[in-house]
Amino acid sequence: MASIAAPGLALSVHRSHRRLTPATATTTTAASVPSLTIKSKHPTFPSSQNPKPSSSRPRDNFDILGSKKLQNIVKTTAAIGCGLYALSNGVSNAKLSGNGGGGSSGGSGGGGGGGGGGDSFWSKIFSPAAIAGEEESQEWDSHGLPANIVVQLNKLSGFKKYKVSDIMFLDRRRGSTVGTEDSFFEMVSLRPNGVYTKAQLTKELETLATSGMFEKVDLDAKTNPNGTVGVTISFLESTWQSADRFRCINVGLMPQSKPIEMDPDMTEKEKLEYYRSQEKDYRRRIERSRPCLLPPSVQREILQMLREQGAVSARLLQKIRDRVQQWYHENGYACAQVVNFGNLNTKEVVCEVVEGDITQMVVQFQDKLGNVCEGNTQYPVVRRELPRQLRQGQVFNIEAGKQALRNINSLALFSNIEVNPRPDEKNEGGIIVEIKLKELEQKSAEVSTEWSIVPGRGGRPTLASIQPGGTVSFEHRNLKGLNRSILGSVTTSNFLNPQDDLAFKLEYVHPYLDGVYNSRNRTLKASCFNSRKLSPVFTGGPGVDEVPPIWVDRAGLKANITENFTRQSKFTYGLVMEEITTRDESSHISSRGQRVLPSGGISADGPPTTLSETGIDRMAFLQANITRDNTKFVNGTIVGERNVFQVDQGLGIGSKFPFFNRHQLTMTRFVQLKQVEEGVGKAPPPVLVLHGHYGGCVGDLPSYDAFTLGGPYSVRGYNMGEIGAARNILELAAEMRIPVRNTHVYAFAEHGNDLGSSKDVKGNPTEVYRRMGHGSSYGVGVKLGLVRAEYAVDHNSGTGAIFFRFGERF
Amino acid sequence: MASQLIREWAGIQQFPAATQSKLLELLGKLKQENVCTLTILVMGKGGVGKSSTVNSIIGERAVAVSAFQSETPRPVMVSRSRAGFTLNIIDTPGLVEGGYVNDQALDLIKKFLLNKTIDVLLYVDRLDAYRVDNLDKQIVKAITESFGKEIWRRGIVVLSHAQLSPPDGLTYDEFTSRRSEALLKIVRMGARIRKQEIQAAAIPVVLVENSGRCNKNESDEKILPSGTAWIPNLVQTITDVVLSGSKGILVDQKLIEGPNPNNRGKVLIPFILAFQYFFVVKRIQKWIKYDIANESSPSWA
Repeated sequence: MASIAAPGLALSVHRSHRRLTPATATTTTAASVPSLTIKSKHPTFPSSQNPKPSSSRPRDNFDILGSKKLQNIVKTTAAIGCGLYALSNGVSNAKLSGNGGGGSSGGSGGGGGGGGGGDSFWSKIFSPAAIAGEEESQEWDSHGLPANIVVQLNKLSGFKKYKVSDIMFLDRRRGSTVGTEDSFFEMVSLRPNGVYTKAQLTKELETLATSGMFEKVDLDAKTNPNGTVGVTISFLESTWQSADRFRCINVGLMPQSKPIEMDPDMTEKEKLEYYRSQEKDYRRRIERSRPCLLPPSVQREILQMLREQGAVSARLLQKIRDRVQQWYHENGYACAQVVNFGNLNTKEVVCEVVEGDITQMVVQFQDKLGNVCEGNTQYPVVRRELPRQLRQGQVFNIEAGKQALRNINSLALFSNIEVNPRPDEKNEGGIIVEIKLKELEQKSAEVSTEWSIVPGRGGRPTLASIQPGGTVSFEHRNLKGLNRSILGSVTTSNFLNPQDDLAFKLEYVHPYLDGVYNSRNRTLKASCFNSRKLSPVFTGGPGVDEVPPIWVDRAGLKANITENFTRQSKFTYGLVMEEITTRDESSHISSRGQRVLPSGGISADGPPTTLSETGIDRMAFLQANITRDNTKFVNGTIVGERNVFQVDQGLGIGSKFPFFNRHQLTMTRFVQLKQVEEGVGKAPPPVLVLHGHYGGCVGDLPSYDAFTLGGPYSVRGYNMGEIGAARNILELAAEMRIPVRNTHVYAFAEHGNDLGSSKDVKGNPTEVYRRMGHGSSYGVGVKLGLVRAEYAVDHNSGTGAIFFRFGERF
Repeated sequence: MASQLIREWAGIQQFPAATQSKLLELLGKLKQENVCTLTILVMGKGGVGKSSTVNSIIGERAVAVSAFQSETPRPVMVSRSRAGFTLNIIDTPGLVEGGYVNDQALDLIKKFLLNKTIDVLLYVDRLDAYRVDNLDKQIVKAITESFGKEIWRRGIVVLSHAQLSPPDGLTYDEFTSRRSEALLKIVRMGARIRKQEIQAAAIPVVLVENSGRCNKNESDEKILPSGTAWIPNLVQTITDVVLSGSKGILVDQKLIEGPNPNNRGKVLIPFILAFQYFFVVKRIQKWIKYDIANESSPSWA
């Protein structure tokens, strides 16, 4: 058998003298192409029960929260992406090693070469030891020959299972054995202590012979005294004349040239003719091929390898193949494969690569059972989320696939998303990108209830103090297949007495305002909301006893248009109409703040709470907000710049005809102090955060719209509004973040100042509640997951305290 | 309050003849200058003798006084007329409660004074209190903030309980001058009167003694230890201040509430808005464009 195999090998190598086929597999990458999947049970985030009203308070934190949410989304998807990356890594590794297998089946002439590749990949993944162990339990046969004799492969018995004790490679040219680290070693699927039949061994030899790496390869068995055999594979490596040029071409979508059978009876002249025509064909092939993506730097590197080596050997080609494929896979071209080396024995080495050109992109909807069905979502909605690199004619890149996955996921329309590259059967070397989407239920309604037990008289809960509360919400998503949605929710902590704290929200979202084909991304949002918040304006300064609180209830309508420039930068403008009611602790409408008299009594002649001085204000105003955010994560730490400008422009419509211009500008800079290498697991850089916030108002300023100073998002170390409430404010902050292990520690200093404008708020609440109007603080802290633990010293009283806060300050 | 009956100044009869003639002379002097009404605002801490001083000037027990507790929960105006001349004296509750300036009392006073003109402010404190502290300054400040700095041009510092024996080693004159100097300093600080202005707006100091045990001179006038009859002296000073040329303080809504900050700059709002659009929003939009242009695209793109 070996003797047959050997000429066969000689034939394949000698005949295709000019063309080495390290892996003749016809790039059927079915098993090796990773598919991207994302599953999300409910990609929507629970909408907050208390919608923040539009006219945000000085530190309403609406946008901050918003952006934080966004970051969370990004983070989660990034995590998914990482997982995928790991997966794809594994796969690409497998593919590299699987080449041998692929080659083998290709060599055997079978059509289903792909499967073979896959098998060897899995067998590699599941450790060979396990297989060996499994096989060991099987019976194996002793060779039944005298010990220490060398037996040729064809002399072995076809009925016996031989146990292979060890495998040796013998380089005939060098006359030495090669170690296990040699690149040839991985081409052999035999493993020491494995049990193989003669047929398996023959197959193995055939695989090696047809790989084109060897001019001659033989397999001998040496009998051991214990009945096992030692296998020696002796080979003669193929070599060609040295080359000093390297060229890489993309032969994707081109038919594989099949060598014409050469008649052994050809005359010399015919042979010459044949070679010439072959050469011509090949030149034409090169000309027809498209340039490949391999950058010049890698090409130079390979050229260097060629020059150093002198003669072109099979090993060198293998190395070149590995290097080229490595570059492709590192850069996300998961479907790229070196399929051939051509033009050998000339001065040039031509590396033929199938890069994985996308021939088609298919969007498919699946029903719950995974059957293909007609989707409700309109195609352009999905299409506009796909990166250009995933369109027909581009080379498939797994990063683009991931991007598509993230983008589609951010639509929040699908429960399951798969981006699946699949080989194009009709077009050799082509890739069809399949996007499989499982749509979420369009309509959903939810009722969640909770019982709260309120301490009754004497601190004991009574039957009457058990309150049924909960949320009723409904959502109608993806109206008309254009991602428009209506959602509504009602929340109360006591259904029996809902007027106490009923929170409702009704929202309509209309994306693609300029048409789904228009690249301009504007979204119309209309909502109806209410909210209840404790006013930080009516807060005492240091040393002041409890100031009776004032609750600010807002209810109204809001319509705005958001134009997204980038993922983070956007411009929002719209109209807000709201009714503001100020109430005291016992929910009675109060038109003036209360204060505790030194005698202990309470007088209700504090600063007016509303503009109309009745406790109820109605107003309509325009609101615009422009956010520029180019922050990005460097090893998990935020770096960049964020600027937010917001204006509320009163229109003179409402109680007392409020006409005002209330504006605030926030500038935050995250300065990276050290250049660091980016990558998973690398240390984040130290960052200096500089922050400035100016808020001002010209015109009518009711107390609930005054800017307050102090609080976790204003000046840390103080309570909300503890420093003052003013018409114009300035906040400055600096924070230094030093990474420590997986988290960071920070030191900060902050200052807030009313710029002497406290007296310009009607009733001067700053002074009435004995606040300073300005204050500084400094402190240190550590980030523990989502929680910030910090020690802050308030400069006005000089005392420090430890705070635990959720989320980020900036 | 407006309908309050203006009674005949009968109390003037109670005064000794010397005082009476002196007072009438002064009133005549005022009438000559076309001053027919005189409104005097009396302010100060609680229990310093504001009400007693009012009673002493009027010459009758017009407002209730008590040695041990505040008898004046709200401002009271006492009006007396004599020969076509009307004297209004407004007695006010003490401005201090619990160690703080009582904003509420101040508010009451302000509301009471609405649409009245204050001709003279009597800031009353005790002579026999040895020290001045921050609280005094706060009171002066509160008064200044309520009625404006101008009121101190019409201000007189009145030191009550003037009949005392000074502490050891000091003569009566030394003590009174040092005490009044200390108080004036505080007043100047609280009212933010600058050094240059001190000369122009010197605040006179008058000593009074409301006690019934007050020493009297041969013409039965109440006199201070220094020998001056203090009622004529006080009225004399008031007259001098009134005739010094400065204007009385008209307390109107605007003075009480201060300029309405909500109206300031309202006219400018359209311009501010235009500025914001063209110079802030546009600028940020430009930055965003710059960001997009400079965005590093991934290697595969």
